[in-house]
Amino acid sequence: MQLSATIRGTTWRFESVKEVLAKANPPKSGDDLAGVSARDAVERVAARAALSQLTMSELRENPVVPYEADELTRLVDDTLDDQAFRAIKNLSVGQMREWLLDTKTTGPVIRSISAGLTPEMAAGVCKLMSNLDLMVVGAKCQVVVRANNTLGLPGRMSSRLQPNHPTDDVQGILFSMREGLCYGCGDAVIGVNPATDTAESTAEILKALDEVTTRNRIPTQNCVLSHVTVQMKALDLGAPMGLMFQSMSGSETGNRAFGISVKLMDEAWDKMKRLGTTRGPNVMYFETGQGSALSSAAHHGADQVTLEARCYGFARRYKPFLVNTVVGFIGPEYLENGPQITRAALEDHFMGKLLGLPMGCDACFTYHASMSQDELECLKVLLGAAGCTYLMSLPVGDDIMLNYQSTSFHDIPSVRMLIGKRPAPEFDAWLSETGIMDGDVPGERFGDPEVIR
Amino acid sequence: MSSTRALMQVLRARLGAADPLPPPAPAPEIPPPPHYVFPSPQMMGRYAEKASAHTTALVGIGHVGTRYATDVVLQFQAELAVAHQAVATVLPEDWAASQGLIGLQSRVTSHRQFLLRPDLGRRLSDESVKALRDKAQKGVDVQPILADGLSAVACMGSGMDLLRHFTAACEARGWKVGTPMCARYARVWLEDEIGQEVGARVAAILLGERPGLGTGDGLSAYIVHEPRIGKTDSDRNMMSNIHARGTPPAQAAQKLAMLVGAMLDQRTSGVGLDLSSLAAELGDAAARAPRAPQQRVRLVEVKR
Amino acid sequence: MSILEPIPPTVLSVRRIHAAHPSLLRSYGADPERHASLGLVTCDQDDPTYVALDEATKHAKVDVVFAKSFYAGSAHASGRLSGEILGVIAAADPDEIEEGLRALVRCLEHDACFYRADEKGTVAVFPHVIASLGHYLSREAGLPAGTSMAYLVAPPVEATIALDAALKAADVRAAKIFPPPSETNFASAWLAGDLVACEAAALAYAEAVVEVARRPREDR
Repeated sequence: MQLSATIRGTTWRFESVKEVLAKANPPKSGDDLAGVSARDAVERVAARAALSQLTMSELRENPVVPYEADELTRLVDDTLDDQAFRAIKNLSVGQMREWLLDTKTTGPVIRSISAGLTPEMAAGVCKLMSNLDLMVVGAKCQVVVRANNTLGLPGRMSSRLQPNHPTDDVQGILFSMREGLCYGCGDAVIGVNPATDTAESTAEILKALDEVTTRNRIPTQNCVLSHVTVQMKALDLGAPMGLMFQSMSGSETGNRAFGISVKLMDEAWDKMKRLGTTRGPNVMYFETGQGSALSSAAHHGADQVTLEARCYGFARRYKPFLVNTVVGFIGPEYLENGPQITRAALEDHFMGKLLGLPMGCDACFTYHASMSQDELECLKVLLGAAGCTYLMSLPVGDDIMLNYQSTSFHDIPSVRMLIGKRPAPEFDAWLSETGIMDGDVPGERFGDPEVIR
Repeated sequence: MSSTRALMQVLRARLGAADPLPPPAPAPEIPPPPHYVFPSPQMMGRYAEKASAHTTALVGIGHVGTRYATDVVLQFQAELAVAHQAVATVLPEDWAASQGLIGLQSRVTSHRQFLLRPDLGRRLSDESVKALRDKAQKGVDVQPILADGLSAVACMGSGMDLLRHFTAACEARGWKVGTPMCARYARVWLEDEIGQEVGARVAAILLGERPGLGTGDGLSAYIVHEPRIGKTDSDRNMMSNIHARGTPPAQAAQKLAMLVGAMLDQRTSGVGLDLSSLAAELGDAAARAPRAPQQRVRLVEVKR
Repeated sequence: MSILEPIPPTVLSVRRIHAAHPSLLRSYGADPERHASLGLVTCDQDDPTYVALDEATKHAKVDVVFAKSFYAGSAHASGRLSGEILGVIAAADPDEIEEGLRALVRCLEHDACFYRADEKGTVAVFPHVIASLGHYLSREAGLPAGTSMAYLVAPPVEATIALDAALKAADVRAAKIFPPPSETNFASAWLAGDLVACEAAALAYAEAVVEVARRPREDR
């Protein structure tokens, strides 16, 4: 295994695959904070050159957290699809990039090898790709899932409606929810981040959402994003739960900080399959984001892109309906500015899709990151063009509870019209029935929340 | 071939019809679209009015095409500008001295570094450690620390007010309160080193919170029992949203003093602290409670 | 779409009868003594077809024995293949018919056609210039073969104003004027002169049709 590269006569040597992976990353403040990034642009390219020569087998044999030390590494390795792995194991990372970009490598072909990829492989090839590379391959990947709606079909882009409220005032939540629906938002999920993490309040919010979606016969699914253990209790209380949610991290210790493990998630999934209210078969919803492992000192000296891919290695076990990367929420110490947030969004979407997940993205920033509103609006169009399964949507993009800036109700129909995409077919039909949309243009009741009873 | 096609080409060009687009149609009369305004009551739609009793989310704002009306754009941009300005403001080096406080600084040396290196913002610079040793009273019950945090605007705004009320509330309960001080480029955990250095039983850092849309003047308070380096978030109790539209400083100071009292009694803080007997009085401050919504105020006034 | 773009005619049928029955020949105006074979064409534009039939007579030993427009034009055709005209050429043998049809179809596909006189395509003009008449149109127009002629067609009001403009624009004389309505409810005129004069007349005609289409009501 060659862990060195020479540029203009200077040879750069690296100690480990983990170091090569980390130094091959484009600049991220989180990698600087972790002390794992390349010293300068030349060392970064040297690391990429070394990485381009490593084979898929070598990446499998050198996970960034050892097999013995981490249940996620064990989960990925023990359940890897052998036939799919054999098909690609001799490709170098550089060849893998070219194979993915080849026109003959279509979505169905990528899908057939997806189960043979480890997160480290997805992260490795990601680091050799430019933003446009990531978009081209991301747009090719096919991931179609169904709960009540069918997501991920060609020509479709969905959205989560996020009617958060700082005190969980149910009426306040419903006012935002109705506003969002009349802009054509909410086909991926109507998902509330609760202020109070109790089973009773989770059940109460779910009941309120369910009443509106049932009364108006809206084909979608509801979710309250409390901790998974709280949602399990809410299921016991008989809450009408459309999707079960949990945040994930890229290492066992990171997940411990989130209060979860593979065993707990297995139990949660099993319970949700029995007690959830959607027709399925996909009933889980996960959120991730670069930097989350480092923020709980659970990064094991690895870079945040590779750790993010490891979240997807965990998530795919549960055949989720939704996965999204909350890309700019974590703050500038992990993603400093517009270019870093944009890059991370495209990386995460690509890696998730490559690993077979229905990837969405919360394109967002906190007010102390250096990203402008215009940069954020551009990112939404890039994600739409890259085939992102869904985006978030909030009143003017402002989360009055979590205090950050995301996608707005108005952005969703704007991006859809720009790139020629429509909502999930079941929801699309409902929008036409209500008059909110007239085919692919706004209908008579567009923007009129009174249309929702 | 006849010459007809060539002739018609010439005529097309002469009539200006050879341009890729036909000449524009004559301009129609354009009536002004309706104004959508938040939250001016006389212009607010029925839906927005009903919603405003329950949420500060901008709903019922209508649309032009699929985008916002101009008034909404300006309100939104003003709110964004207020938040960004609050983040960008740096606490002047001499501000602490001008207020009669001991001036301290973390190991951070620039604003950008402050945003990117939370680890450095949690430790004192060597000079500050020395200043603390030279000037601060040791062995106190409570050490209040005013700090910039993520909003120097909030610190300079109602910071002194909160510090004075909090100090008075503690002294009224008979506790020995530490020398007033103010830290620059400070993260929450800086209270651990400061508290340890002065030998405080409880440290309370009062600092500017991460600005939200349209708000940059909120303060938060984080209190820890037996402060020392190595304490984590689960060891702390906090109260946020301290400003005129949330919990006013005088009222917040009473609640914070109550929290300190509970810590001194139970000799612990954070998840281990039992606040059940105080829940009614503490309200928001009784651990992990949701924040009250910020009120939205109209920021842009334009004469028509 | 912009003005004065060609509206390509669609040739709807091209058929041959190698040895036609004498009764048929006679009833379609052919002479069984001289003609044995027929070539038949239908098209959705009549005037370009008249020009194309004449063109055929310049390339092969054929006679145009039959050419008639259908009432109300191709929008009201009796069938999918009817269009608005049936033209029949006759010759002594199939080879001449073949040669004639080739010239005829080429003219329809690449040369003679109506043009859009407004952006919406609701007014059409046929301002065709024939440099040298074949023996079919020369007979019809009462002009010597080889003369230049402007073959001008437009809807009634446009045609009337445009004809006046064309006559005044160049040294041409009216060989024939067909006031409205023709079978297809148009109006037309055949103007003779030298080639340059015919071209100037056709230009003036087309320009006037465009102008009327743009401003149909002078009172507004």
